[in-house]
Amino acid sequence: MPRPSGVILCFVLSSLLASDTPGGRPEREQNVCTIPLTQVLRVPVSSLGKPETEGGLSTADATLMISPGATDEPPEGPDGFDILDDGGLLITDPLRSRISNFDSHGGFRKAWEIGFPADSLTVIGNGLVLVREARTGRLHAFNQEGQARPMEGVTLPEQAEARVLNGKNGSVSRPALDGAHGGPLAVQFDRPGLTLLSLESLATDQAGDTYVALEATASGGTSDTINLNKYVRKYSSGGKLMGETADIPLDYYVTPVDELRVHKGMVYQLLTTRSEVRINVWDANQLCFLPSH
Amino acid sequence: MLSRLPVLLVCVWLISGPQDHAQTGVIAQLPPATRKEIVARAKELANHGWVCGASNLRASCSAKYVSDWKSGQRITGVPYCWGGIDGPEEFDRKLANGLAAGAHSRYGVLKCAAGIDCSGFISLCWGLSLSGHAYSTSTLRQIAGKPKYNWFTDMKPGDVLNNPGSHVVLFTGYNPDGTINVCEASGSMARVVCRKTTWSRFKGYIPLQYKGIDD
Repeated sequence: MPRPSGVILCFVLSSLLASDTPGGRPEREQNVCTIPLTQVLRVPVSSLGKPETEGGLSTADATLMISPGATDEPPEGPDGFDILDDGGLLITDPLRSRISNFDSHGGFRKAWEIGFPADSLTVIGNGLVLVREARTGRLHAFNQEGQARPMEGVTLPEQAEARVLNGKNGSVSRPALDGAHGGPLAVQFDRPGLTLLSLESLATDQAGDTYVALEATASGGTSDTINLNKYVRKYSSGGKLMGETADIPLDYYVTPVDELRVHKGMVYQLLTTRSEVRINVWDANQLCFLPSH
Repeated sequence: MLSRLPVLLVCVWLISGPQDHAQTGVIAQLPPATRKEIVARAKELANHGWVCGASNLRASCSAKYVSDWKSGQRITGVPYCWGGIDGPEEFDRKLANGLAAGAHSRYGVLKCAAGIDCSGFISLCWGLSLSGHAYSTSTLRQIAGKPKYNWFTDMKPGDVLNNPGSHVVLFTGYNPDGTINVCEASGSMARVVCRKTTWSRFKGYIPLQYKGIDD
């Protein structure tokens, strides 16, 4: 049993020790171009148990449904999304067993009444959308109008491999495209005070540019709670680092299954909060800026 | 660095007081469990197959209950049930007796439903089924301590990631891409599942190690 007086004294001593180390927040890596947050799309939510939804789930409105949960049951709600060919958005609405379709500005277009709660969806080639049933993990195919299609002959997208070699280096695999390099992409993460935790290859576009999500921590796994940062980097087909998003917000209310998507050089994040569903957008096509030191 | 050593030693001495007797008593009563046993129990709960009958779609004690399932549906994984701590055998027995298969917090704790919630799942995996649903995410600290190692690299299967008052998952391993594998009783997936996930999901969580672990 720790002695309270000892803990307080240690806190004071630790603060004194920490005060002569430079900066609490690690500096950004030099010469990494920062891609600023470009746009935030907002979709209102309805909450289960609120008067307007008491007695059943409304299906007529353009909101997305969240459940606040309770002690030992986290909130539930929209946790999967993807971008349509025209820049519109598909977002899962599992508590209504439907998928909602929004235009590129966040305006509601229509809802697909799919008849089951979905927690993940992926727009694949041939105008198809793969939708995962949350309660079984089973995949279903739909066209971009929301009509069910047979799964026979549907090719599932391959997951690119990634590997973290140490706290500063890793690699991700890339498909070989016309006129572009394939094979492994070396990822170097030389950021003072930060340790690379994980890598995820999000996409390689037709130009051969590859988008990689990185998780990193400054705590070294010994702080009070788990703490980390997340970024998305864009690499050219030649393997050059083109830019990196500012910190990806991680204050989820509903934990996402599909958190990040890339479409036509834009990085999208699904962030379901207590009051709205936010789609954060970073335009990696724009010139980014070098941070001042 | 050397100049800081005396200060650090004083800190260690100040913090390390003797454990009180009540705490020691709790630890002494905890059933020992190996990491292999813990993970095996988790997989058993996640891989348990069952079929939902028509009688399992209703909850006799709740008028507003809506089932997650369909009649005749085959499901893998013991269903999520808020306040529940049913292992596979107990769940099957209750299912056969016509209890509802799973329930969420919006219906309250239902005695007429069968299944398991997140803290019940961890209690079962750690071999604490005899004590009933004695521990929630807020009280797991009574039987689990915070590990001193770097949890981004040195967690061991059978440890948990806990967010008091919200959720807890069982850690089962690291992946080469730096992500982790966990098993959990998931409300959104309505059942016990094992899956690969990112660290971001666990920002603010606290890693814990069962005090009855038999390493």
